[in-house]
Amino acid sequence: MAIVEIERVTKSYGDLIAVNDVSLSIEQGEVFSLVGPNGAGKTTLIEMIEGLRTPDSGSIKALGLDPTREGTELRERIGVLLQTTSIQPDIKVKEALKLFASFYNHTSNTEELLTMLSLQDYAGRRFNKLSGGLKQRTAIALALVNDPEILFLDELTTGLDPQARRNMWELVERIRGEGKTIFLTTHYMEEAEKLCDRVGIIDYGKIIALDTPRNLINNLGAESKVIFSAEDMDAAQFEGIEAVSRVEKVEYGFILYTKDENATIQGLIRMADAQGFRVSNMRTESPNLDDVFLTLTGREMRE
Amino acid sequence: MRLSALWQLAWIEFKLNLREPEMLFWSIAFPALWMGFFGAIFNELVDYYGVSLNQANYLLPGGIGIVICATSFVGMSTTLATYRDSGVLKRLRVTPLKTSTLALGFALSQLIFIALGIIVLFVIGLAAFGVQVLGSWAALIGVMIFGMVTLLALGTAIGSIARSPRAATIITLMIFMPMIFLSEMWMPISLFPTWLQPICQALPLTPLVTLARDIVFGVELGDLWRFGIMALWLVLGTLITLRFFRWE
Repeated sequence: MAIVEIERVTKSYGDLIAVNDVSLSIEQGEVFSLVGPNGAGKTTLIEMIEGLRTPDSGSIKALGLDPTREGTELRERIGVLLQTTSIQPDIKVKEALKLFASFYNHTSNTEELLTMLSLQDYAGRRFNKLSGGLKQRTAIALALVNDPEILFLDELTTGLDPQARRNMWELVERIRGEGKTIFLTTHYMEEAEKLCDRVGIIDYGKIIALDTPRNLINNLGAESKVIFSAEDMDAAQFEGIEAVSRVEKVEYGFILYTKDENATIQGLIRMADAQGFRVSNMRTESPNLDDVFLTLTGREMRE
Repeated sequence: MRLSALWQLAWIEFKLNLREPEMLFWSIAFPALWMGFFGAIFNELVDYYGVSLNQANYLLPGGIGIVICATSFVGMSTTLATYRDSGVLKRLRVTPLKTSTLALGFALSQLIFIALGIIVLFVIGLAAFGVQVLGSWAALIGVMIFGMVTLLALGTAIGSIARSPRAATIITLMIFMPMIFLSEMWMPISLFPTWLQPICQALPLTPLVTLARDIVFGVELGDLWRFGIMALWLVLGTLITLRFFRWE
């Protein structure tokens, strides 16, 4: 059953069309990610579902409710992490939880929330004295305070260090385990690939691809790369290796383009054994969502 | 309206005000210091419409005016602009909290904070100068609440118009400072040049101070038109707020 239904939604700011004729439906219990560069329209779209902005045309239903007309009922049942969460700077973590809990009819146990987010030791700390990662965890605790059916996470990990980012990913896995529907936006393809059941790639306000990360990558038909160094060898000598379609000589060694990483690696090792040369610094690169974006738009996706 | 939300908001905002050194100084310490300082220098009886009390009694309504003005006018406009700029209002907006509950919660937190400032003022006035209220306490509280609501409306109006928290603070202080001198807080408006007097009478703080003084000295509230001046400022502030208020 679709829990969010977006039909032909358009939103402009003056001459800028932020969201352009987007249709999308999110299923109950799925983790969906909207991926795209800054300014692609991710935040505008997510904020229209939350009822913060009104579409110029088209219709949105979330939990069967119209976010503009039935905003209060909808917000009772959703949890929101805004792109930049700011709460009163001098408020303590537990005060903020208590305050936000008072806004809802149905609430989670705040002690459990603090434990789940590893915030117990910071409950008495003021919000503006927390690190970026702890602020983000507090913001997520606030988004979960009403035990929401849908959780919206706008730019969940932007600005976090790698460790804090990995912690966030674990957290999303855990929340998904509770059967909540999660709608997130990110401009990290890696994050979308790792966390999401389905990904919508958005560029200039339009959804240009929508599928599981695996399907999006497979449909590219792109090749993997096997990259390594080997001394005193010529590119031509590697052309016969299993599954290799093309060999490129680069400054630090060679790149083998292949449809079958495993077969190519095994072939390369056998060849090195037989001919007695050393293969070093070997690594592989599989196609990922970045390549999908590059192929679809002809541009690299930058942060 | 959820009463628990209203109370939580009021109580937490009150506590946040207590954590603000500027608020503590301007709303609590400064009015008491002001009354104490001038009350001590000019420690003599003052005749007010035939009633004689010492100078501190004359200054007390001025101190009340400063407490209310510093909290509701300067404090509220800065808080509103800061919460809007930093996204606090936006975050509150994605909850089921109603705008009316939000507004009332803020007003209630101000009321608690102002009550604290006025209690401090009274306790010091009582201990140092034996200040007294000859008129009705109920009337005094009524006038103070009316004054608070008026200045709150003007504070939110300026907080809504101002493009940044800094602008909100500067604008309100630019109004607050001269108002302290011109609103009959420590000297009668009749001592000012004739052309300045109507301006003084029309300021939003003047009716609050003079009506409160009438009650402190127990003289009859003769100038009921002063309530009209407050009501006009209240309406103006509300209209400007409704017109210019932004969530983000």
